[in-house]
Amino acid sequence: MSMIAGHLEPYLVLSSLLFSIGAFGFLARRNAISMLMSIEVMLNAVNLAALAFGAFMPTLAGQGVAFALLIIAVAAAEATVGLAIVIAIYRNRKTPLVDEYDAMRQ
Amino acid sequence: MTDTPLSTAPLLLILPLIGFAFTAAFGRRLGKRAHIVPLVAIAAVWVLAMGLAIPALLGDPALGGEGSSLTLFTWIASGDLIFNVGIHVDGLTGALLLVVTSVGALVHLYSVGYMSHDGSYWRFFAYLNLFMFSMLLLVLADNLLVVFAAWELVGLSSYLLIGFWYTKREPGLASKKAFITNRVGDVGFALGLMGLVAVFGSLDIHTILAGIEAGALTGPAATVIALLVFCGAVGKSAQFPLHVWLPDAMEGPTPVSALIHAATMVNAGVYLVARMSPLFAASHEAMLIVAAIGIFTAIFAASIAFTQTDIKRVLAFSTLSQLGYMFAALGVGAWIPAIFHLITHGFFKGLLFLGSGSVIHAVDGEQEMPKMGGLERKIPITYATMLIGTIAIAGLPPLAGFWSKDEILGEAFKFGFGWVWLVGLLVAGMTAFYMFRLIGMTFWGESRVNPAVHVHESPWTMTLPLVALAVPTIVAGFLLGFPFADGILVHGLEPVFAPANELLGHEHEAWTLFGIDGLLMLASVTIAAIGTAIGIRLFSSDHTQLLSSITTRLRPLYEGSRSRWYFDDLNDLVFVQAGGRVARALWWFDRRVVDGAVNGVGTIASSSGRGLRQIQTGRVQNYALGIAVGLIAMVIVYLMVAA
Repeated sequence: MSMIAGHLEPYLVLSSLLFSIGAFGFLARRNAISMLMSIEVMLNAVNLAALAFGAFMPTLAGQGVAFALLIIAVAAAEATVGLAIVIAIYRNRKTPLVDEYDAMRQ
Repeated sequence: MTDTPLSTAPLLLILPLIGFAFTAAFGRRLGKRAHIVPLVAIAAVWVLAMGLAIPALLGDPALGGEGSSLTLFTWIASGDLIFNVGIHVDGLTGALLLVVTSVGALVHLYSVGYMSHDGSYWRFFAYLNLFMFSMLLLVLADNLLVVFAAWELVGLSSYLLIGFWYTKREPGLASKKAFITNRVGDVGFALGLMGLVAVFGSLDIHTILAGIEAGALTGPAATVIALLVFCGAVGKSAQFPLHVWLPDAMEGPTPVSALIHAATMVNAGVYLVARMSPLFAASHEAMLIVAAIGIFTAIFAASIAFTQTDIKRVLAFSTLSQLGYMFAALGVGAWIPAIFHLITHGFFKGLLFLGSGSVIHAVDGEQEMPKMGGLERKIPITYATMLIGTIAIAGLPPLAGFWSKDEILGEAFKFGFGWVWLVGLLVAGMTAFYMFRLIGMTFWGESRVNPAVHVHESPWTMTLPLVALAVPTIVAGFLLGFPFADGILVHGLEPVFAPANELLGHEHEAWTLFGIDGLLMLASVTIAAIGTAIGIRLFSSDHTQLLSSITTRLRPLYEGSRSRWYFDDLNDLVFVQAGGRVARALWWFDRRVVDGAVNGVGTIASSSGRGLRQIQTGRVQNYALGIAVGLIAMVIVYLMVAA
């Protein structure tokens, strides 16, 4: 396992920052596409954290990489299905804004 | 099956059933010929029944004694509990067959004339055959469960026939009254049967009776079960306090009153108690209650018959009174006289009812005796036969009623039931009085008939049964009961009642003319003669002044008797008014509390759901915020706990 110079903390700070941005984006943006993008940001923030742990903690070596690969696969599937759903809803409701998707409420 | 003496017995059940099914299916199309099949079926039944009843009563070795049984098939087999449908014929069955089929056949013939103008002619004959099937099943069955089924079937036929003219209000109400009152007694009967199953594990009559003889049922259990079974008998035989349905049942056609409500079905209770005689003999208390209810009904009903003006109601109360006599006889252990009276009463009361029908027919449907009178010459056959029936029921020798009534009173006295004897004697006098009152008001004196009515004697189909019934009314007592305590009936029935007599410790005693028996007979004949004399004196011609002075002096008694001692009003007060109030209170409880609890649970669920719905905005981001907040909260809690 190749070693990277530096410390673990900056990676985790960056990861937390990215996750917070993603979470904020998911909660605050009304556009369904933007929300999907925010999810991608959060997933990648988690990926970064996992890889950083894998690189700096000898006990987790290898597991971080495996975990990240798994998340990438899930993220790809999620993006596909998510986009398909968004397009289907858009065709029905003629709007990308999620706060107007209130059919479940009635 | 061919070599048993009972090989023809199943036909007794099959023929009326075919008659019923055929008439019910095709009767409407047959119109005025609808009576042919039922009539032929019943005539054939009569011939077959005589072929069984006469040898059974004469003590034929194959039929007398222990009797003869024939198992037809297994009805219910559930583990150890097996109910077989079978036929049993012994002396007691023979006695019942004699009455049921003879009166039944004659009533069928009579109905051809009586019902000829009725639009539902076929329906009447279908019901009559259904009744004959049910009654014969009741008498022939050797299993109490089958008896119970037949018991309900006769109740059904009775209901259908009382309410035959169902488009009128009174028959409809009367049929319901009869059915419901009978249900009250039947609940007791059903409970008694359950008790017998619990004790003996079977409802086969011979298993039960053999068990009782072996002492398997004694003490309070025997009393309770016997009285529960007696409940059924009280309902069916219209004894106090379930007597109220029988007078109202006179709303049915008169042939029905004669057949079902005088000669046959109402005897079912007497038959049941007689059939289960060892069960009753096993409990002194049960016997006492049977005797008390019987003799009370006898005097109670006789006192009401004094003042009734509807000719059929007088006869109905007289039937109650005579049935009371039979129960009193059973209660004192005078089994054979009770059955003897059942037979003679079946004949003479059937005759009297058919006679009253002929009278009603003659005066164009009028049933009130104050609007009759002077019919003596105009309908001589009816008059003569009814007079014979009246002399018989009054207990004057040598007609049938004298023989059986005298035996009941004699045995009651000899077995130490002085009070039964005394009241019975009084009732005998009362019976003679009110029956001659009936004859006097109907046939003697000035005619009070509506002059527009053309009074005419009935057709031969109606008078022939009257004459035919007059014959046994005259001779049955002598034929069956002579010599005293040693007649045909005594020989035929003694083996049937031997177990019960053994339990009671009764011995067969010789009859002495110049001893206690002769004196007792003299007493009962004297009382009957006095009642007759007073009846004739008061009603032979118009003693209106004398009568009205008597009724004014005894106004409360007169009114009480006329109103049947207010028993219907009491029932109305207790069961209809008070019972209705209780039912309404329970209904309120059901509606408010029971339903309220159920509805309350539903309301709580739906209103809490409605409240919680507010937080379901349907917006994805609200849910996501909830997830985020929840996650943060969990992390904070985790950190605090870990720290």
